[in-house]
Amino acid sequence: MAADGGVLIVGEATEGALRPVSLEIVSAGRQVADSLGQPLVAALLGSGIESAARELARFGVERVLVVDDPRLAAYTAGATTAVLASIARQLEPSVILIPGTTAGRDFAPRLAARLRTGLAADCVELAVEDGAVVAVRPILGGRVQTAVNLGGSRPQMATIRPGSFEKATASGSEGTVEPIPVDLSDDDLRVLVKGLVTEESNGATRLDQAPVIVAGGRGLKEPENFQLIEELAAELGAAVGASRAVVDAGWRPHHEQVGQTGQTVSPRLYIAVGISGAVQHLVGMQGSDYIVAINRDPDAPIFKIASFGIVGDLFEVVPAVIAELRAAKA
Amino acid sequence: MGYSIIVLVKQVPDMNAVRIDRATGQPVLSDQRVISSFDEYAIEEALRIKEAHGGEVVVVSAGPPSVKDAIQRALGMGADRGVLLACDQINDFDTLAVAEILANHLRGMTYDIILCGQNSDDYATGHVGPQVAELLGIPHISSVTKVELDGQQLTVHRDTEEGKQVVEVGTPVLLMAMTGLNEPRYPSLKGIMAAKKKPIEQVSVTVPEAGARLRWGEPFVLERGSAGRILQDVPAAEAAKELVAWLREQKLIPTG
Repeated sequence: MAADGGVLIVGEATEGALRPVSLEIVSAGRQVADSLGQPLVAALLGSGIESAARELARFGVERVLVVDDPRLAAYTAGATTAVLASIARQLEPSVILIPGTTAGRDFAPRLAARLRTGLAADCVELAVEDGAVVAVRPILGGRVQTAVNLGGSRPQMATIRPGSFEKATASGSEGTVEPIPVDLSDDDLRVLVKGLVTEESNGATRLDQAPVIVAGGRGLKEPENFQLIEELAAELGAAVGASRAVVDAGWRPHHEQVGQTGQTVSPRLYIAVGISGAVQHLVGMQGSDYIVAINRDPDAPIFKIASFGIVGDLFEVVPAVIAELRAAKA
Repeated sequence: MGYSIIVLVKQVPDMNAVRIDRATGQPVLSDQRVISSFDEYAIEEALRIKEAHGGEVVVVSAGPPSVKDAIQRALGMGADRGVLLACDQINDFDTLAVAEILANHLRGMTYDIILCGQNSDDYATGHVGPQVAELLGIPHISSVTKVELDGQQLTVHRDTEEGKQVVEVGTPVLLMAMTGLNEPRYPSLKGIMAAKKKPIEQVSVTVPEAGARLRWGEPFVLERGSAGRILQDVPAAEAAKELVAWLREQKLIPTG
C-alpha cells in the first residue's frame, strides 16, 4: 500500500444525529493530519445521516464519506467492518482513528485483523515522529501509561478514549460530502439487532452527553440510599453515575457505570459521593472539568484529583447540600 | 447433543498487587498470577450453559508454563479439559499475533460457542476476542451481559452507552463476557481434586510473523494533578453552604 491517502477518522451518529464524540475524533485526526501534511477524511455510517454528514463537514474535515443505508441503522461489527475495510482499501489511508466507544472498541480490532495491521487501544494522546504515529495509552489498571509506536504497519490504527481530545470547533471552510455505495454480504449481517431493553434506559440522561453527573459508590452502604444521589442529581439536572463496586453488587444498571470497564465521561461537573476513587474509576472521569468529592476517608484517592472536596459523612453532607440548593432556588 | 464450548483464558499478574518502585519510578508486577477477571465470567457462563443444556467445556490458554495454573483453576471450577498453547514470548506479541496463535489451533477444534472476557486486567485492549473471531470468520458479540439459547440460535444482551441492546445470532459465535453476566463460582475442594485427573493437552505453537507492527516504550507512572480545596472537620451545613457558593462562583449552577 502506498498508504498516504490521508488520515481517516470514523464519526458516530445515532438516530440521524452526530454524536459529540465525533467532534473529539475530528480534533485527534486534525492534529495527526496536520503533522503528516495529509488531508483529513471522515467516514460516517448509518441510516438517514445526510444532515449529520453535512454538519461534520463544517468542522475542518476535507472530505466526509457518507455510507447511508437502512442496513446500517443499528450498529453491528460485521457491517461496519465490511464497509470500513472497503473504504480503507480504496483510500489507502496512512492512519485510521476510531472513537473508543462501545461500538468503536467492538469493531476496531476486527477491522485491524481484516487489514492485517496493528492497533493501539484506548489512546489518550497522539504524536507523530518520523511519519509514525506514537500513541500514549493507560495500562495496568490505569495507573501507568506507555507509548506505542504504530509505524510498523499500515494503516496505523488507534482507538481514542472519549474525553481525551477537545471537541473541534466549526471552521470557516466546508468539506465535501461524498456518498459511498454499500456492498454487504449475508456474512456481514449475521448479527440481528432487535433493539434496546427499554425499561432499563427509560428517562435516563445519557452519561456521555450529560453536562453534570452525580455518581455514587459503596460509601452509600445500601442500594436504597442511592435515592440521595437521585435527589441531588434532580436538583442539579444531572445524570446519575455509579462506581464498579455498586454495579457489580447489582445496585445499579451497568450503563450507569463510570470507569475503565464502564463509560469514560468528561462532563463540566462530576460529583463523586462515597466513591474512594480506585484507579479504574478515576480513568473514567478524570477528564471532567470540575470534580467534587464527598467522602468520609480523608486519604481517599478521589481527593487527590478533586477541585472541591468535603471530608465528612455523606449522609449528613448530601442532605445539607440538597437543602442549600433548594434554599438558593427559593 | 449439547454445546461444544471453548473458553479463551488469559493469565495475568494480580493487578491489585502492582507496586511502583520509588527509585526507578517503574511499575513492578506481582508474581501472583491469576485468571483475568472477565475471563472468570466467561468460564462461569460456559459452565452454566453446559449444566443447562449439556456439552463440553474446553479451556484454551496461550503463554508460558505458569499458564497451567490458570487452566487448572478453570478445570477446578468445572471445565472438562484444557489446552495449553506453549509460548514463552506471548507478551512480546501484539494482539493480532496472539489471536493468530489461538485461531490457528481453534481451526482444528469443534465449537458452537467461544467465550472470552471483555478485556484483560493488565493491557485491557479487548482486541483478542474480535480478532480471533475475524480470523475464524465467525461473528463476535462484545459486552455480553445475558445469553439465552434456543438450539443453534442465541439471544444476547449487550451493554451500550444507550442501555442494554438485544441481538440475535446463530452459532458458531464468539461472545465476550462483561460485568453483570454472572457471579463466577469458586472451585470447590471436590472440584480441585477432580481437576487433577482432567487432561491438559500441551501444544507447541508456531510463532507467527509478528512483523513488529507495534513497538512499545517504557511504561511511566502518571503524575497526579495538585489537589483542590478540601474541607475537613467542617459541620455538614457549613460545608454544604461553601460548596454551593463555590459551584455558583465557578458558574456550575445558575446564580440565584
